[in-house]
Amino acid sequence: MAGRRVLITGVGSHVGSLLAQRLERDPDVEHVAGLDTRGPKVDLDRTEYIRADIRDPEIGRLIPATEVDTIVHEQIVRQPGPRMSPPAMHDVNVIGTLQLLAACERVPTLRTIVVRGSAGIYGAEPHAPQFFREEMAQLFPQRTRFQRDVAEIENYFETYARRHPGVSCTMLRYQPAIGPGLRTQITRYLSQPVCPTYMGFDPRIQLVDIEDALEALVAAVRNPVRGAVNVAGPGTIGLGRMIRLAGRRALPIASPLFGAVTSAGQQLGLDSQSEDFQRLLRYGRGVDTRRLTDEVGYTPRHSTAQAVETWAHQARAAA
Amino acid sequence: MNSATAIAFMRRLRAGLDSGLELPDAISRGATALPRDARETLNRIVDRMEGDYTEDEWGFDEEFTELVEPFFAFLYETWWRVKVEGAERVPAHGRALLTANHAGILPWDATMISLALLREHPLPRNPRFLVLNWAFDLPWVSSGMRKVGGVVASPFNAMRLLEQDHLVAVFPEGVKGTGKPYSERYRLQRFGRGGFVEIALRTGAPIVPVAVVGSEEIYPKLADLPWVARLIGAPYFPVTPTFPLLGPLGVIPLPSKWRIEFLDPIETASYGPEAAEDRTLVLELSERVRDQIQQALYANLVKRGPAFI
Repeated sequence: MAGRRVLITGVGSHVGSLLAQRLERDPDVEHVAGLDTRGPKVDLDRTEYIRADIRDPEIGRLIPATEVDTIVHEQIVRQPGPRMSPPAMHDVNVIGTLQLLAACERVPTLRTIVVRGSAGIYGAEPHAPQFFREEMAQLFPQRTRFQRDVAEIENYFETYARRHPGVSCTMLRYQPAIGPGLRTQITRYLSQPVCPTYMGFDPRIQLVDIEDALEALVAAVRNPVRGAVNVAGPGTIGLGRMIRLAGRRALPIASPLFGAVTSAGQQLGLDSQSEDFQRLLRYGRGVDTRRLTDEVGYTPRHSTAQAVETWAHQARAAA
Repeated sequence: MNSATAIAFMRRLRAGLDSGLELPDAISRGATALPRDARETLNRIVDRMEGDYTEDEWGFDEEFTELVEPFFAFLYETWWRVKVEGAERVPAHGRALLTANHAGILPWDATMISLALLREHPLPRNPRFLVLNWAFDLPWVSSGMRKVGGVVASPFNAMRLLEQDHLVAVFPEGVKGTGKPYSERYRLQRFGRGGFVEIALRTGAPIVPVAVVGSEEIYPKLADLPWVARLIGAPYFPVTPTFPLLGPLGVIPLPSKWRIEFLDPIETASYGPEAAEDRTLVLELSERVRDQIQQALYANLVKRGPAFI
């Protein structure tokens, strides 16, 4: 375990920066490197920052030079930001992964790859079991662009893992993360003056607290497991209750009008929702986290309700 | 509540809102004018408005279930005059799989089984039930269903619930049961491929057969309009004496007289989880359960007498 050398892709993201900070404090980690086009969001002491675009074949030269034994792939875009088009997001996700895996071929020291993937691969379905297990990724057709992206990423990693039995690949399937300072679809949604909901639907939502999100990554680095592992806080919470805990008000919209009303809201400066997120607001999703507890050896400490309360408390204090 | 208290409540509520209080706080202030029990109910509703209530990981909301209980109690006592036999045969703790006959597009029978256990069982417990999938496409029905303990009819859900030592109700007739014509009532359809037996064997849960008489007269299906069903995506489109003739009123179930009988549990733990692979055993057990329910249905039909009076 001692003397680990870890590379984090997407170190400029919130979770990536915090992970680098967390690993710096870990005495077992000898070296931390971070790759991104943006610099880390927090001050880091001993992280070697590599400014590079993951889509650039140049990383095939930069990554082997770090001589790492572990790569944490964190550069997966869940929703295109204001300055990113959907095709660019697809590029970062899929082409980025391909370039990364091509670079991995040239790192003889590599033993472990941990990917912060997404439970979005399961979709959000009215007829889904209340808790998806890892083997149920193919249960429903892939309906959204992001879902297809994630499936493609998982596919590349699976192929890589099959061809490199010496490297263990862990695909962590994260439910949406929430936490102080984190800007994701869910926190943006809960920061609006009113939260649009589907009239008559109160889906079960499951989130993961940022702290648990980080610790699960660290646990997977320490104790890699082959294949997919779900990551989420224990329990689920009804969307209506989540909005109330956040101190917001729900705006129920009849399902056929939802798209029209939210896109009108977007013109007025309200937040827009991705297709995945809209489906989540309608049908919700829960995942089974037994594999995380039993095999990776990490049990998330914050339930979804607690995570929302912590976030809301901090958001109120900041306002 | 007399009109004077109602007016006092409204006055304080308005005063509260005028002084800039949020609605929940204003309601609490108004509630001080009310008698104690009304105040408590109102305060519970206020707490709910602020998200102060609990749901378990399945979305089951015990407080919501209690709040809607009076409505189902009316159906239970007055509308359907439910008589219950053998509630004490249901295990008081630990996992068990209730297996019942099924009729009607809305799972009224599931709610009546729940209420029967809450009222007649010495140690009442809320069963969870597997509901036909397409109910979860519908607004209000989907969220109401999960709050009172319904889950999508998936074997994974049943397994997980049983592993958590819940009481789970299943209707192995499935869509075939809900869609049978009036003339076929109380004739049990095929029990699928015995999936419920496999689940019971895998989890070692005893199977409790349940016979429900009365539920198959509430929506007498006279004909089916398959093309309308295809149009709206429902498994079938029933024509009953009141539906679609009376529009939404046709959804009101007829006031038949009900009997619910819980039969002796069939123990499955001794076979071991591997027995779930044994097709012969699975089909044999499935047929045994089906046979017992069918016999109990006939016996209870005789005991009940005429359907509506």
